[in-house]
Amino acid sequence: MSIDQSAAAGALKAKNQARINLLLSLTLFGLLALMWMALWLATPNFLSYANVNGILRQGAMWAILAMGQTFVIITAGIDLSVGAVVGVSTVIVAWLLTHDFPIWAAVLITLGFGWAVGMFHAFGIVQLGLPPFIMTLASLQVLFGAGLLITNGASINITNDAFTQFSRNDFLGVPNLFWMVIVVAIPAYLFLHHSRWGRYLYAIGSNLEAARLSGVNTRLMIYIAYSLSAFCAAFVGILLAQRIGTGNATQGQGWELKAIASSVIGGTSLFGAVGSVLGPLVGSFLLTTINNGANLLSINSFWQFIITGGLIIVIVYFDGLRRKRG
Amino acid sequence: MTNIDSAAIASSASPMPLLALHKLDKRFGATHALKAVDLIFEAGEIHAIVGENGAGKSTLIKLLTGVHVRSGGEILWEGKPVALATPQEAIDHGINAVHQEVVLCRHLTVAANLFLGDERTRFGLLKHVGMERAAQKILDDIGFSLPAGAILSSLTIGQQQLVATARAAMRGTKFLIFDEPTAYLTRQETQQLFALIGRLKAQGITIVYISHRLEEVFQLADRVSILRDGNLVSTQRVAETNEEQLITGMINRAIDQIHYKEHIPFGQEIVRTEHLSGRGFNNISVRVRAGEVIGLYGLIGAGRSEFVQSLYGRFARTGGQIYWNGKPVEIRHERDAIKLGIALVPESRRDQGLCLNLGVGFNINLPIFHRLTRGVMISRKAETGAADGQIRGVQIKAASREARASSLSGGNQQKIVVGKWLNHGAKLFIFDEPTAGVDVGTKVEIYKIFARLLKEGAGIILISSYLPEVYDLCDTLHVFRRGNLVASHTAEKGAPETILAEAIGA
Repeated sequence: MSIDQSAAAGALKAKNQARINLLLSLTLFGLLALMWMALWLATPNFLSYANVNGILRQGAMWAILAMGQTFVIITAGIDLSVGAVVGVSTVIVAWLLTHDFPIWAAVLITLGFGWAVGMFHAFGIVQLGLPPFIMTLASLQVLFGAGLLITNGASINITNDAFTQFSRNDFLGVPNLFWMVIVVAIPAYLFLHHSRWGRYLYAIGSNLEAARLSGVNTRLMIYIAYSLSAFCAAFVGILLAQRIGTGNATQGQGWELKAIASSVIGGTSLFGAVGSVLGPLVGSFLLTTINNGANLLSINSFWQFIITGGLIIVIVYFDGLRRKRG
Repeated sequence: MTNIDSAAIASSASPMPLLALHKLDKRFGATHALKAVDLIFEAGEIHAIVGENGAGKSTLIKLLTGVHVRSGGEILWEGKPVALATPQEAIDHGINAVHQEVVLCRHLTVAANLFLGDERTRFGLLKHVGMERAAQKILDDIGFSLPAGAILSSLTIGQQQLVATARAAMRGTKFLIFDEPTAYLTRQETQQLFALIGRLKAQGITIVYISHRLEEVFQLADRVSILRDGNLVSTQRVAETNEEQLITGMINRAIDQIHYKEHIPFGQEIVRTEHLSGRGFNNISVRVRAGEVIGLYGLIGAGRSEFVQSLYGRFARTGGQIYWNGKPVEIRHERDAIKLGIALVPESRRDQGLCLNLGVGFNINLPIFHRLTRGVMISRKAETGAADGQIRGVQIKAASREARASSLSGGNQQKIVVGKWLNHGAKLFIFDEPTAGVDVGTKVEIYKIFARLLKEGAGIILISSYLPEVYDLCDTLHVFRRGNLVASHTAEKGAPETILAEAIGA
């Protein structure tokens, strides 16, 4: 078979594969739509304005967290600290606001804190050679402890109404918090799928050595990946502080697992080099819908954990099947 | 069209072949990997199998070791039909294989690897000391000088292969398959291996020897079978054939000269090192001009890889100077080297050269993504155009540019690595063992790529442990020994034996 013939055959095969992939990706959307339909039929309130609003607001935070986490997982790393970063960020922004910093300054400083934490993680991973799991796990403990120390375990009340109003308002009928997802998702999508740095993240996740030998600045890219993850977590911390009006170090506890679960449900592989921006987004709203639906149906909230765990197994299994065929 | 050597069967010493394959067939979906192959293996013979990558050799191995189940035909072991449906069934019959890539546990000791699955215990607890002693005795009896207590990963790849060989030979083996066993062995280790093979044959064990190194076939084997495109082309006594006939049988066309070399006039000096020293090498001064191939020959551990990796910015130098286009330069990172125009095709394409679970096009474009951008974003058109162009340029056989690199044969994978640097447009190409585990047809294509690079004004540093290759292809041959450059040969290269002696230090 000449090269052109086999290339043509291969292109056709690739197109068919792409169709199958699209179909399977749609299953995530399909699953979400199915859940929404089922809940709409099963409860009186599901599609009410208030409830949908609530889902969009809650899911928004997990979605942004999941997108940041995905950058890290694509490099075959992991960021276990994001829950603590969220909590400490609420404390920092609350503290700054109650000490009369203007909103823009409080926000920027908190975001800067998040970026700095990420750089610290990358320093430990790149310079000290610590495995990401260990580095971010240790950081989780340290940040959590630091947050509690600063507040002495208490909450800081935010009295700045302009700040907290943001989370209650809508723009064009859609909650501001959800718009923040769009604000993060669009640059994230362009970065990951259409820029060379996104390509470099995939290369690093696939084979760090080969990437470096091919001229990729692997150290810089790892710094960028972890900084983005912690930055997103700090961002979510600010949004959370707006929503609940307090700064408290225990907020966000366990959210790192939500972020990882959302990402994995969305098709990211923990082995690296596989992932997208849209997948974790849909994954996080799936988890939010389960959360919300269980509340509406008065299902014992403990069932949510079981359902989430089962969902992860089922989706990752079928995703693995799809990959093997491709 | 099969051609069984009936004379060999009639005159064979044993009354019945140990293993007979009747019309053995294997399909993978649409791919017809083995087409009704008739093959007979006698007890106590060394039977070589040669063929290009994709000819069906590894499929045959996998069918015999129980990894795959046959699609058709019969396998007769000592005259009785067997299924060989699982690896354990093959092992129970006494069929073992030593594979091309080391498939042992790198974190365990040599002894632990030898006894893996077959550990000796007392009251359920492992007898560590006893096993280590037994393992050392086994290794000594076989003739391999290896320490049984060493962690496997601390040994060289060649030594790890010998451990795999020891493991395969020790378990009541009657039928032992070797797949490219000498690819990573030093000359001394190769001799140890051949001595072992000789002893196994004397014990009546059947050896199947698969290798691209045809001179080894003629040195070791009694009979040789040629596979091509899933068909058995012929089975002959080694004494009744020669290398040319084998090659013609393998690729169905005559190759006048495998080591394709054109004579190209040399141009400007590209790179020069003066007294370069670093970790593992000392006082190396070499020069590469445009159109020139310099070869670095030596035993494993002689310092050639360390030297070129220092040139590539992987390791710092402790002394000496590098000159690029006549000007002194500092190369501290790979990125510095790449920016100057140096390309490295590394020794292990799996570990160092490729992102295996990503596409062919991705791998090919990896060094040049910064050039495929329109503004900040990557232009899909530029990306696909560059990938397709290079796939055509080096003739990579892949389903599409999206096909995963891991799905390609070894030779085509190597072409991806070469292609990505052609894409980049480097001036100095460093090839570290470029044709290890690559079939004859692809080798020729790679050598033709060398010629193309040289004609376009590039220079090549070729590291090879395969003397025929480096001898024929290089304009200047440098011999390394223990980190030092002990000899350089140019046009009048002298006898290969001399060069070998220089490398060994005899």
